[in-house]
Amino acid sequence: MNHKNKNETTQFLLISLILVLILSVTAFSFLAVFLNRQSTSTIREVSRMYMSGLSDQIARHFETTIGLRLDQMDALARDIQPERIHNDTAQQESLIASAKAREFSYLGFYRVDGTFEMLYGSPLEVTDPEPFMNSLLRGEKKVAVGTDAQDNGVILLGLPTTNPPTEEHSCVAIVAGLPASYISKTLSLEENADHVYSFIIREDGSFVIRTGDATRDSYFDRVRSIYEKVDGKDPELYIQALSEAMAAAEDYSAEVVLYGEPRQLYCTKLSHSEWHLLTCMPYSSLDNIVKGFTTRWTYAVFGICAIVLAVLLLIFARYFRMTKQQMQELEMARKEAVRANKAKSEFLSNMSHDIRTPMNAIVGMTAIAIANASDQQQVQNCLKKISLSGRHLLGLINDVLDMSKIESGKMTLSMDQISLREVLEGIVSIVQPQVRAKNQQFDMSIHDISSENVCCDGVRLNQVLLNILGNAVKFTPEGGKIYVAMYEEPSEKGENFVRIHFIISDTGIGMTKEFRERIFESFVREDSMRVRKTEGSGLGMTITKYIVDAMGGRIDVDSELGKGTSFHVTLDLEKAEIPEADMVLPPWNMLVVDDDRQLCESTAASLQAIGVQADWTLDAEKALEMVEKRRNDPYQVILLDWKLPGMDGITAARELRRRYGEDIPILLISAYDWSDIEAEAKAAGVTGFISKPLFKSTLFYGLKPFAETMAVPEAKKEESALAGRRVLLAEDNDLNWEIAEELLSAEGLELDWAENGRICLDKFANSQIGHYDAILMDLRMPVMTGYEATEAIRKLDRPDAATIPIIAMTADAFAEDVRKCMEAGMNAHVAKPIDVRDVCRQLLKFMQ
Amino acid sequence: MTLQECYAALEGDYAGVTSRLPTERMVQKFVLKFLNDGSYDLLLRSMETEDYAEAFRAAHTIKGVCQNLDFTKLYQSSSQLSEALRNGFTPEAPALVEQVKADYTQTADAIRMYQASLNV
Repeated sequence: MNHKNKNETTQFLLISLILVLILSVTAFSFLAVFLNRQSTSTIREVSRMYMSGLSDQIARHFETTIGLRLDQMDALARDIQPERIHNDTAQQESLIASAKAREFSYLGFYRVDGTFEMLYGSPLEVTDPEPFMNSLLRGEKKVAVGTDAQDNGVILLGLPTTNPPTEEHSCVAIVAGLPASYISKTLSLEENADHVYSFIIREDGSFVIRTGDATRDSYFDRVRSIYEKVDGKDPELYIQALSEAMAAAEDYSAEVVLYGEPRQLYCTKLSHSEWHLLTCMPYSSLDNIVKGFTTRWTYAVFGICAIVLAVLLLIFARYFRMTKQQMQELEMARKEAVRANKAKSEFLSNMSHDIRTPMNAIVGMTAIAIANASDQQQVQNCLKKISLSGRHLLGLINDVLDMSKIESGKMTLSMDQISLREVLEGIVSIVQPQVRAKNQQFDMSIHDISSENVCCDGVRLNQVLLNILGNAVKFTPEGGKIYVAMYEEPSEKGENFVRIHFIISDTGIGMTKEFRERIFESFVREDSMRVRKTEGSGLGMTITKYIVDAMGGRIDVDSELGKGTSFHVTLDLEKAEIPEADMVLPPWNMLVVDDDRQLCESTAASLQAIGVQADWTLDAEKALEMVEKRRNDPYQVILLDWKLPGMDGITAARELRRRYGEDIPILLISAYDWSDIEAEAKAAGVTGFISKPLFKSTLFYGLKPFAETMAVPEAKKEESALAGRRVLLAEDNDLNWEIAEELLSAEGLELDWAENGRICLDKFANSQIGHYDAILMDLRMPVMTGYEATEAIRKLDRPDAATIPIIAMTADAFAEDVRKCMEAGMNAHVAKPIDVRDVCRQLLKFMQ
Repeated sequence: MTLQECYAALEGDYAGVTSRLPTERMVQKFVLKFLNDGSYDLLLRSMETEDYAEAFRAAHTIKGVCQNLDFTKLYQSSSQLSEALRNGFTPEAPALVEQVKADYTQTADAIRMYQASLNV
């Protein structure tokens, strides 16, 4: 689907690019062609104008030249009378002399019969005498051509005489002659630098003056033979058009092709004659200039076109790349969204499956129980399963609730003083049944724990450890190993803190690298067949990670598929303010036997700390030897690990009993629930059990029963510390008051009762300074609540108002309630039901 | 009737209370005093007068007393009721009041029977 989209976009881009390319090439080509055309027609136009100008100029030049000559003749003839000149020799001579001076080659009289009476020059003949004669007879000055005796072409200038001819032989005009070349020279009719050449023709096409390569007698013949067809125009059509124009004495212009070269032709009437001037110019000369310009222009156009195209291409390429990148990003975002969505829907479907399974069990078992209501054993069995399923269901729902709390940012930690020993003991006791059911090996090692009591949210810490440990048990096959280690380091946060490391490793199925990276994401569970049958919300690790983060710690995971997984949780925890109760045992000599060297060393150190001298060894055989050696100063207590290399703990105990009798207490160390081996162990002579993890306190409480002269118990010490202290107790309910009074009086406290917050405030305000050592405050009271009373007390103007410990006692035990108490100015918070030890501990903590 | 049987009848946690309070004698004393506690009447009165703040406090007190005496069943219903009334009246409240009434009656009956058995 998306691949198709991408292709479509690419295709669209390519097609657009090609279209734009084609469009620009076409546009530029069209422009080039159009301009070329335009330039050609411009050339034509320019040529036509040029030619018409040129022709006019030549025609005017001709007119001027001929006019000048005629004027000269006028001047010559002014003084002569032709009738008389025949006889007047002197006059003739002067005429000849003036004519020669004016460079006329011929001079004579033209008679009515068309003959010449030559004054000088060879005899002449008019080529076309009729129009010449007619014009002269009409008294017009006229120019014509003729030939002399040598057949040379002559231009004849006729000047009619003033008197009309009276007789046949009388003279019509004075005619002077010039060689034909004179005209062509004067008019520069020959081809010049501009390749312009001219002819003079008559109306019938015959040449008056021929120049250049013209050999034929008639221009029309020339047209017919060498002019080529132009624009479908036959040479004959030219002739026709030209003839018509000449007949009408109009100017004519045309384009012709001669010897494959286009030329411009211009025809104009010459004055004083029946002649027409034909001027011809090849385009090539003008064309070459314009062509050069056009070529450069075209190059420029294509150059610009190329540049524009290149820029376009560049822009396209850039745009294409950007689009591609954008699409990739979009694609990634989409995939991410799809993945998250998929994870959520998978999660939902998993959840609904996971919820349905225990629900089915509950419904089914309920049905069975109803059917067998009379069979007590059956019903009990059903109820047990229902309760199991219910607990599982509750776990799932709790996870989901936790998750929604986390996602809405509402999860708060409720810090309290906890004992790491109790936490670990609790966890071990929870997972033990599962470990046993799966026949897994479970071991635990605790070492170098100096401060067992720390401040932490115990419930959440429990959750974290149980989650990880629960997973370890879940994902480790039968017979696998699970190992829990805890040790302490100095914390970077300062002397009041300790850094506690928890390591929980197993030899389970492990996880893939990809999954390891996503393990802390929401709604994720390794999705493969091998884990399908394992139920869970998939939220455990997310919650775990969140809690650890909230505690300011870190969690690392190391895992290899098929080999196992190891979680490492590191927390910086504040040491509990109350020092651990003095735990001292009699100065015994003890022997610790365990195959874990670290455990031995740490246990020996812990024992040392509580006043016991301890030896240790790693196996039972060695232990027997050591006991034998100290026969005279025997060990008072022996701690034996249950699982030992070679001889196990129970066998060793049996052997010890056999050799040394029943006197020495022998305790078996075990991380497991020992109910399985209890009978066998007791039979072998084991006195009791002590459970891992072996904290100082575990050892102390485990060994205390064997000490005849014990140290003063903790509780007694507290009592003595509290004896005689006066405490004001605000509690509106008689019954609660009586219970509290009864319990706390037993601890030696003197209690005063305030029935509500107002009375409490008054009693405290009216008491002597230092009279009360502490106030225990119920929160929900009539007249004035505990919060208000506390705030009012703190505001009282007396030295102990700010310092007197106020401890809340309430049935509300949420973290939010605790926070509210603190905000109101209370020092601590104990939840109902009243736990005397708890109350005493808090009182001790805050009373000087 | 023993105290343990009484706790079974009112569905409380006998083991819990005896571990927290030093003697059975003391437990007995407080259990009998429970009958004289006015919180229940206060609850009913304030529900009638629609004084829900007072009703909340009464429910809360019942909850506290039940916690101290480990009357689990009544503790649960009164706890739910106090949550329902914490921020004023909610639609769930009347049903929960009925539940508290039922549980209170069960508890009080059990204690009266126990009291009767003591006097015999």
